[in-house]
Amino acid sequence: MSGINFNSWTENATRLGMRIQETLTERTKDLSLMSSGAGYYDTGEDKAKYIKAHLESGSDREKLEAMKRLIAMISKGRNVSEYFAQVVKNVASPNLEVRKLVYIYLLRYAEAEPDLALLSINTFQRDLADSSPLIRAMALRVLSGIRVPTIASLVVVAIKKCAADTSPYVRKAAALSIPKCHSLDESQLPSLIEILSTLLRDRSPLSVGSVAIAFEAVCPTRLDLLHPHYRRLCRVLIDVDEWGQVSLLELLIRYARTMLPRPTASRDSLGKETEEPLFQSRNPAVILSVTRAFYYLALPSRHHKIVHPLLRLLAISPEVERVVLAYILSISHISSHLFSPHYTRFIVRADDSTRVKHTKAHILRNFITADNSQALLREFVDYTDDVDEALVAGAILGIGHIARTLPESTAQCLNAYSVVANAVVELKSLVQSQMQSGAAHVGSSSAPLTIVERLAYHIDEIRQAQARACVVWLVGVVPWAPDVLRKIAKSFRNETVPVKFQAVTLAAKLLVLSPSHDMLIQLGNYVFALARYDRNYDVRDRGRMLQQLLAGVVPTIGAADVKDIGGVVLRRAQVRVVLFEGKESAQPHAVHNDTRERLGTLGLVLGRDTPHERILPDWLEQGVESILRDSQDDAPPTPAVTAIGHIAPRSGVGTWTGTGGHSSPVVVLSPAGSGGPSPAGSMPNKGAWTDLEKFYASESESEDEDSEEEEEEEEEEEEEEEEEEEEEEEEEEEAREGSDDGEEESDHQSGDDEGRRVGPPRTSEEDSDVKRSSKRVPIQ
Amino acid sequence: MAIDGLIILDSANFRPIVQTSFRSFSTAYPLLHIDAYNAALAKAERPEDIDPVLFVPLPDAPTACCHLQHLSLIFLCPISGNLDPLYAFAFIRTFLDILIEYFGDVTAPTLRDNFDIVHQLLEETLDAGGHPLTTSPNALRDIVLPPSLITKILSVTGVSGLSGPTTTGLSAFSSPIPWRKAGLRYNNNEIYFDIIETLDAVVNKSAAIITSSVLGKINVNCKLSGTPDLLLTLTNPHTITEPSFHSCVRLSRFAQSKTLSFIPPDGRFTLMEYRFDPSASKPGAAPALTAAAASQLQVQVPFTLRSALFVTDHGGTFELTFSPRASALDDVVIELYLGAGASSATCSASTGGGGWTYLPAQNTLRWSLPPTTRGGRSTANNNNTLQGTFTSSEARPRPARAAQISFALPPGALLAARLDASSGGWSGKAGDATFVCFLRGGQRLGTMERMEARDFGITTSLSTE
Repeated sequence: MSGINFNSWTENATRLGMRIQETLTERTKDLSLMSSGAGYYDTGEDKAKYIKAHLESGSDREKLEAMKRLIAMISKGRNVSEYFAQVVKNVASPNLEVRKLVYIYLLRYAEAEPDLALLSINTFQRDLADSSPLIRAMALRVLSGIRVPTIASLVVVAIKKCAADTSPYVRKAAALSIPKCHSLDESQLPSLIEILSTLLRDRSPLSVGSVAIAFEAVCPTRLDLLHPHYRRLCRVLIDVDEWGQVSLLELLIRYARTMLPRPTASRDSLGKETEEPLFQSRNPAVILSVTRAFYYLALPSRHHKIVHPLLRLLAISPEVERVVLAYILSISHISSHLFSPHYTRFIVRADDSTRVKHTKAHILRNFITADNSQALLREFVDYTDDVDEALVAGAILGIGHIARTLPESTAQCLNAYSVVANAVVELKSLVQSQMQSGAAHVGSSSAPLTIVERLAYHIDEIRQAQARACVVWLVGVVPWAPDVLRKIAKSFRNETVPVKFQAVTLAAKLLVLSPSHDMLIQLGNYVFALARYDRNYDVRDRGRMLQQLLAGVVPTIGAADVKDIGGVVLRRAQVRVVLFEGKESAQPHAVHNDTRERLGTLGLVLGRDTPHERILPDWLEQGVESILRDSQDDAPPTPAVTAIGHIAPRSGVGTWTGTGGHSSPVVVLSPAGSGGPSPAGSMPNKGAWTDLEKFYASESESEDEDSEEEEEEEEEEEEEEEEEEEEEEEEEEEAREGSDDGEEESDHQSGDDEGRRVGPPRTSEEDSDVKRSSKRVPIQ
Repeated sequence: MAIDGLIILDSANFRPIVQTSFRSFSTAYPLLHIDAYNAALAKAERPEDIDPVLFVPLPDAPTACCHLQHLSLIFLCPISGNLDPLYAFAFIRTFLDILIEYFGDVTAPTLRDNFDIVHQLLEETLDAGGHPLTTSPNALRDIVLPPSLITKILSVTGVSGLSGPTTTGLSAFSSPIPWRKAGLRYNNNEIYFDIIETLDAVVNKSAAIITSSVLGKINVNCKLSGTPDLLLTLTNPHTITEPSFHSCVRLSRFAQSKTLSFIPPDGRFTLMEYRFDPSASKPGAAPALTAAAASQLQVQVPFTLRSALFVTDHGGTFELTFSPRASALDDVVIELYLGAGASSATCSASTGGGGWTYLPAQNTLRWSLPPTTRGGRSTANNNNTLQGTFTSSEARPRPARAAQISFALPPGALLAARLDASSGGWSGKAGDATFVCFLRGGQRLGTMERMEARDFGITTSLSTE
């Protein structure tokens, strides 16, 4: 009984198992088809036929499949714009995944199909009011990415709406849409600037970076808009995301250079709390931006701050190392003392890439001082064995550099040279300088001669063109080797151009020294004849020139084929002066005098000039008035904002002047009362500022008074206050002190301050917002 | 001034797998950059020798192509407008980290399999204007679903993971902390810290260290519920220089008290990176040390390598002697570049001295040594030698002036950083210490030995509440 039961039970179980297996295989067939994207990636032509049908089907799954196929075709570089009409229909799909793929598709092809793209705009506009910030932001991104000029004004409205969104992510998207809208239709600039200045007041650090990007793209010269926000932007810098920090720093650096006074010992524009911690960012781009800030804004006494962060970047990856080395090289030209104590961090490794080896050798050369010369000499000698020609060349230059910097080590350096191409070039300049300095180093002065002798002996083995040319030159300086000329003349035809130059010169020199030597005259004639028919016109010219020069010394030279062309004929002594005491050869180390501020630019890394140089303007001696930067936290209705929308048509409000050599306009305030909302006039503490001249006077008078008190106040006010700011607010406070109602004003201010720290209720701002908007002329 | 886009090439055929749309550029633009890369690759003797920033002369505006190779993938990032190339490299690195976070090992087949996710990630991380958008993995996971069996099954059944705005739409960007997901719950609250330290040294022929540095990294795998606020104390913070932190660490707090106070992101992340500098161990000490004193303070290299190499016509002979010091070493590999044109090598290793291979493609001889045990053999027998000759098509071959040595040290050998789990209610014990360490060095005629050592990790399991 139990056996039967058991049997039927197993039978059932098997049946069930088979059933399950069947379903599973069925499902997994589906699964493997769906899950392996490679299936889509390699969509054939036959599958492509079904895409249209799938896009129009009712099933999300089929739509998704079709969209994936389309995206795959896009990745492979196929043009799939023919499906545009079907794709647009799915823009309102309730399935988020489908919709995202549709967005990706639309962004790519909307420009090509403006009419159809317009069909989708209603959906996007509806999405702008969606409850999810993700959808709102995505809708705006797509809307602004559809590059159809006719919808520019719609986009502006959408951006404006999103700029006032509650989610900082959406506000960020709004900021990033501004440059796109601007490039779509430039005439929207005034309204875009207005939106931008709204966004500038944003308190969330999340969106600030994008606002800086938009600012740089849309109105880079309108730095005056930043006045009321500058200090707050400096404060939030540390909380901004890493990419935003890069953009914001770029903007703030430019602002500081344009608007702040040149830093002095007592007044430094960089904050300890704001910028310095950023050196500990993990993002190399941020490190470099802070480095830029310190290197171009701070006093040289604070430049040492950049050393360790930059050194740290060297270890991150070979790519980053390559770029950072280029920057350090550029710094080391001007201030090598910053990095030279850390020269061991620049030791060349045998497995470095060619470029890195070369740059490191160059940097090490710039570091040479009396202290490290011995260690560096050992390093350079090691490098002459390297596989890499560029490094060998660099090392030899380095040894020469040590010899020149520290004359007492010359003998040591000479020993270090072997017969390598660049050694000869260096040797040349050393021999030259030794012969010029005469008896200065009597002991070692015989060394060069013996080396030259050895070189002359080895002339056949030296193959590199430059080196060969140098040996020929050296022999000419130490004039006793006609045999070298013989050897060179024999192989003249196969020599390179520099060697030919030196061969002709050597012939001329030898002829001047002994004009009546028969063999030499024959040899000389032979060389000049070869030069005359050389394929290189420079060699022909050089030969002809020297031949003419020698006309007065050795009349037989060239007499047969050169006809007398008149002119001055030099005497032998004169020719000798010309040939032997000519100009010193150019220093192999061109002095690097590129003082442009190019740290952190592509041009510097590539070593070439690129357009769009991000060159910083020079400091203003005075800077613009610090009251312009008075915190808008205290005085909500920012004056600049009221003026922005109308700034172009209304020139009567402020006087625009170009400052110095650059084009950034600066507002020069005229005393209030000239009509219109002048910046000073709309500030709450108007009383103190009515008479600006009086204000300036009081500022200069009471420079040092009450500073202690002020500082205390400052500390209470804000934790992360910037040094520079403190000072400026000080000035402002002093100004208030001079007037009667100053006390009240500052009371009012601190009260407001507390409100800000506690939370949103800032009624005064809201009130004035209302006022302002009623004043404003509608843009559309 | 921005990143123009990103192209991911398959190094098998140098064809793009995924690329951004380059909307505001001509269609030839990405192709020109790929061509520039291929041209540079053809010109370079070694693949490493290509300049990572390539100049691409375009008629209207010259641009540059920043590139980086990861396994079989090549990331090209065209930039224009005098942008700092570091910005591009930082972005590539970030994007690569995101890909690793999503797919584990990032290879051409994985990217092809998940191209739709890669496309969405590109769209979310890089704005059309060329500026990075959302790069925090925690925030991205809300927007772009990582591939998992669940999502695959859901997609088969026609239900999308991101089915509607009601589910994910709300959770995306709802967290007040940009780098941490909101509303996380774990049954076992645990957090793991791995400390990885790398020794990187150059040693001359008399075994004196020319330069050495220990670089450290603290990797964290965080599985904690809610919004934990952690405090991490280092026992010897003064030896740590040049630190860099994840953006979650409160920098002002570190400046004041040298402690790490942070709200961690969920999952894996690198908390901090640092350089171990023993010479800075005394905070008040005079910064300028003499060279001799400084070298004594440097981290010592646990072995010596003597080498003699004589170059003759069309070849040469060499002898390498490797003598480990006290500590145990694993995975010792010595590589010697024999110069362009080297054709073959014949060697004999001392008994128990490991095996050698000649890699013709790189013209390099590779000698792998057996693991040395701590105090297992007497010092006299401890030496391993490799003698041999090589031939070359060059008349005067020029082998490298230095050999590269990599090795692994036993756990705890370096230990510059020690964690002190001192904050409230934390307890921890060291367990499961895993450790890999690489050291590279050595050299022609023994002039320089250079090495890199990497890694040891303590895995500490800590729980909150």
